[in-house]
Amino acid sequence: MKKKFILLISILLLITILTGCWGAQELNTLGIVSATGIDIEGDEIITTFEIIKLNPSLGSSRSDGSKNVRYIQTRGKTIFEALRNTTLVFDRRIYLSHNQVYILGEELAKKGLTPYFDFLQRDHECRETAYLLVSKGSKAYEIMGFSSGVEDLQGNYIRDMLKNNKFTSKSVPINITEYFKNYYDAGIQPVVGVIQKKEKKYEKNMEMKNKDKSILSVEGAAVFNREKLVGYLNGEETRGYNYVRNKVKDGIIEFPTPSIDISKNTLLKIGSNVNNISNLDIKEFTVVEIIKSITKNKVEIEDGKIILKINVKTKGMLGEEQSNIDVSKDEVIKTLEEACSKEIKKQIEKALLKAQKEYKIDIFGFGNLFYRKYPKDWKKIKDNWNDIFSEVEFRVDVKTDIIRTGITNIPSDSLKGE
Amino acid sequence: MNKSEKVSSYQIILLLIIYRLVVAFSFMPAVNVSPGNQDIWIAVVLSIPYTILFCLPILFLSNKFNDYTLVEYMEIIFGKFLGKVIGLFYTFVFLIFTIAYVSILAEILDSTMYPSMPTIVTISIMLITCSYISFKGLEPIARGAEVFAPFILTVIFIFPMLGFNNLDFKVLLPILKDSTFIDLNKGAIEIALKFADVLILAMVTPNLEKKEKLNSIFIKSVFFGVLASNFVFIISLAALGIEQTKHSNFPFFTFARLINVYDFIQRIESIYVISWVTGNIGKTSGYLYFSTVSFAQILNKKNNSKYIIPLALVTLIISLIFKDRNSVIGVNEPLQRILLITILISIIIIPFIALIVYLLRRKKINVDVKE
Repeated sequence: MKKKFILLISILLLITILTGCWGAQELNTLGIVSATGIDIEGDEIITTFEIIKLNPSLGSSRSDGSKNVRYIQTRGKTIFEALRNTTLVFDRRIYLSHNQVYILGEELAKKGLTPYFDFLQRDHECRETAYLLVSKGSKAYEIMGFSSGVEDLQGNYIRDMLKNNKFTSKSVPINITEYFKNYYDAGIQPVVGVIQKKEKKYEKNMEMKNKDKSILSVEGAAVFNREKLVGYLNGEETRGYNYVRNKVKDGIIEFPTPSIDISKNTLLKIGSNVNNISNLDIKEFTVVEIIKSITKNKVEIEDGKIILKINVKTKGMLGEEQSNIDVSKDEVIKTLEEACSKEIKKQIEKALLKAQKEYKIDIFGFGNLFYRKYPKDWKKIKDNWNDIFSEVEFRVDVKTDIIRTGITNIPSDSLKGE
Repeated sequence: MNKSEKVSSYQIILLLIIYRLVVAFSFMPAVNVSPGNQDIWIAVVLSIPYTILFCLPILFLSNKFNDYTLVEYMEIIFGKFLGKVIGLFYTFVFLIFTIAYVSILAEILDSTMYPSMPTIVTISIMLITCSYISFKGLEPIARGAEVFAPFILTVIFIFPMLGFNNLDFKVLLPILKDSTFIDLNKGAIEIALKFADVLILAMVTPNLEKKEKLNSIFIKSVFFGVLASNFVFIISLAALGIEQTKHSNFPFFTFARLINVYDFIQRIESIYVISWVTGNIGKTSGYLYFSTVSFAQILNKKNNSKYIIPLALVTLIISLIFKDRNSVIGVNEPLQRILLITILISIIIIPFIALIVYLLRRKKINVDVKE
C-alpha cells in the first residue's frame, strides 16, 4: 500500500514536469521567417525579414490580393542586435529555424561576409541548409518583398527557383555549410548564388495579366575571393562552372545546328521542294537534354608546367531540333554530338577564362586536386596558388552521346518521304 | 555492490563501446588533436595500441585480482590505510567523471535544444534518471546497454546513409602526406589519454560471468569503440570538411541537420539528440553507480544504494557551480585539463606503482588473498 502511494505521488509529480518543454515557443508568439535580407550602410547592419503571417481563416492569400506575409526591417551593429531589435517594432519574436534563404546586399558582399556570418553558424536556430544569394547590383531589401511566382512566400519562391537549377544548371544553390567548406579550403574559392531584379520584356497583354513590371532571376553566380565578392558569372558561364564542378546532372544544352552534308541528310520541309534547299540557316538550333553527365578533373605537371585537364562525358536526349535534318541517321547524330560537345567545351572555357583572366582566382577547386596529387609541391605554391592558376594551361575534352531522340525521329516540319 | 550480480561479456563490451562512442558522438574531442588535418582519423586508429599500453597495468592487476574490484585490490596491494586513501581517490575520480558528463550533456542540451531551460532543471532531471538506474544495480545497467546500443548504433549508421549526398570523402586525401610520424603518434597518445572507461571494467571484473575473458572484453571494446567513433568522425569530416568540423562544437549534430531526403526526411536531428541523451544517461549512470560502489567499499559497506542520492546531490551542486560559470565544450580549460590529470593519475601512475608494489610483495599478497 505504501509503495503504491509513493508511486502515485511520483506519477503526479512527474505530470507537472512532463507537460512540455521549458520555455516552449507557441506559434502565436513567433514570427516565423522565410527569407532574410542582410545589408550594410556605413557601420550599421540592416536586416529585413519576411515573416509568415499565420492566419488560417484567411487561407493562402487574401481576397484583396495582399499576401500573408509581413516585412520587418531593423538596424543594429551586429546581425544579432538587429534581429533582437525587431522586438521593439514587431509583436513577435523572430524565429529563424524555417528561414530558407539569406539575401546579401552587394555592398555587404563586397565588404566581406565572414565577419557577419558568425551568428549564422553559432546560433542553433539558424539552419545550415539555408541558401545564400547575393543581390546583384542592389540592396537586399530592394529584392525583398518581391515575388513573381506562384508561391506567396518569397523565401519558398526563391528556394524553389534554386532547386530548379537542375533544369538549366545556370544557377548555383549554395547553402551556409557549402560556403564555409570552400571558404576554409585553400585550394578553392567560394561561389554563391545570385538574385537580380530584371525588367519584364513582355508585350502589353502579358503585362496587364501580371501586374508586376519586374521579375526575379537567380541566373548566374557570385564569385568570392575568400569572403569578398569580386564579380559574377553569367548564366552560361555558371553552367560551365557547374560542369567543371561536376554539378550538372540534368538540364539542357542549346547550340546552333551544325552544317552537314545537305544532299544526304536534309529532309524536305513541308510546303517546299528540293530546289528550295540551299544552306542550313545558322539561326536554327538544336537542344540536347542532359540525362547524365560526369566530369573528371585532373591536374598534371608536364615538362615543369601545370596543366588542368577537364574531361566531360555527357549522355543526352535530343530535346528539340529546329532545322530539317534527318536525325534518324547515325552520321547526323554523330555530327550533333560533336556540336554539342563543342558548345559544352565553349561554356567551360568561358567560365575558366573568366576566373583565370578576370578574377584571377580558382573557384573550381583545382588547387585541391593539385594538393592531393602533389602535396609536397603544394606547400611551396599554396600561398600564391591563385596567381599560378590564372596563368596555367587547361585542356577541355568533352564527349557527348545522344542516346535517345524522344518520341519522334525527324523534325515535325519535315517530310520523311520514302 | 552485490557480487552475485552477473554481467555477460557481450553486455559489458556493448556498454564500453557506447561509453566511448558517446564522446565522439557528442563533442568529438579527437578532432582537435595533432596532426589536425585529414589524417586525424589515422591518429584515432593509432590510439588503439597506446590505449592498450596505458591500460596494461590496470588490466594486469584486474586479471590477477579478478574476484576484487579496483578499490578492493588497491587495499590488498597498498595495505589498509594507503589503500583506503587510494580508494577514496578513485571515488573522487568516478565522481569527477560523473560531474564532467553531466555538465557536458547539460551544455549539449542547452546549446542545441533547450536554450531557455535552466541548467538546474536539465541536470536535476538527468540525475533523477541516472540515480534511478543506479538504484536498480549493475545488471539493469548492463541489460540497458543491450537495448540502447543497437538504437544508438542504428542512428549512427542510418544517418550517413540518409545524408550521403552531403558527404565528400575526397577531403580525406591525400593520406599521410601532411603528417609526420611524430604528429600522428602525438595525436594518438592524446586520444588514448582520454580513455577512462577501463576503470569501469576494473570495477566490474568480479561480476563478469567469464572473468578469464577480461582481456578479450577489453580488446574488443577498445577496437570496436574506436571503429564506431572513427566512423562518426570520418562522416563528420566528409560532411563539413576538416576546418568546419574543427570549428563545430557538435560536428555530427551539424551533419544531422544537413540531412534532407527529397524534402521528405528532414529535420531529424531530434532522433539523433534522443540517442545522444540515451548514451550520455547510460554513461553518467555507470559512473555514478561505480562512484557509490567504491565509496561503499572504502567504508566496508556491502550496500552502495544509500550513497546514490548523496553523491547525486554532490554531483548536482558541483555541476551547477561549474556549468554556470564555464562553457565546458566551447572552452577547453579547465575541464579537459582536470580530466587529463585525473586519467594520468588514476589509469597510469597509480596502477603502475601498484603493479611494482605487487611484483615486489607478490608472495605476501598472494598468501593474504588466499587467507
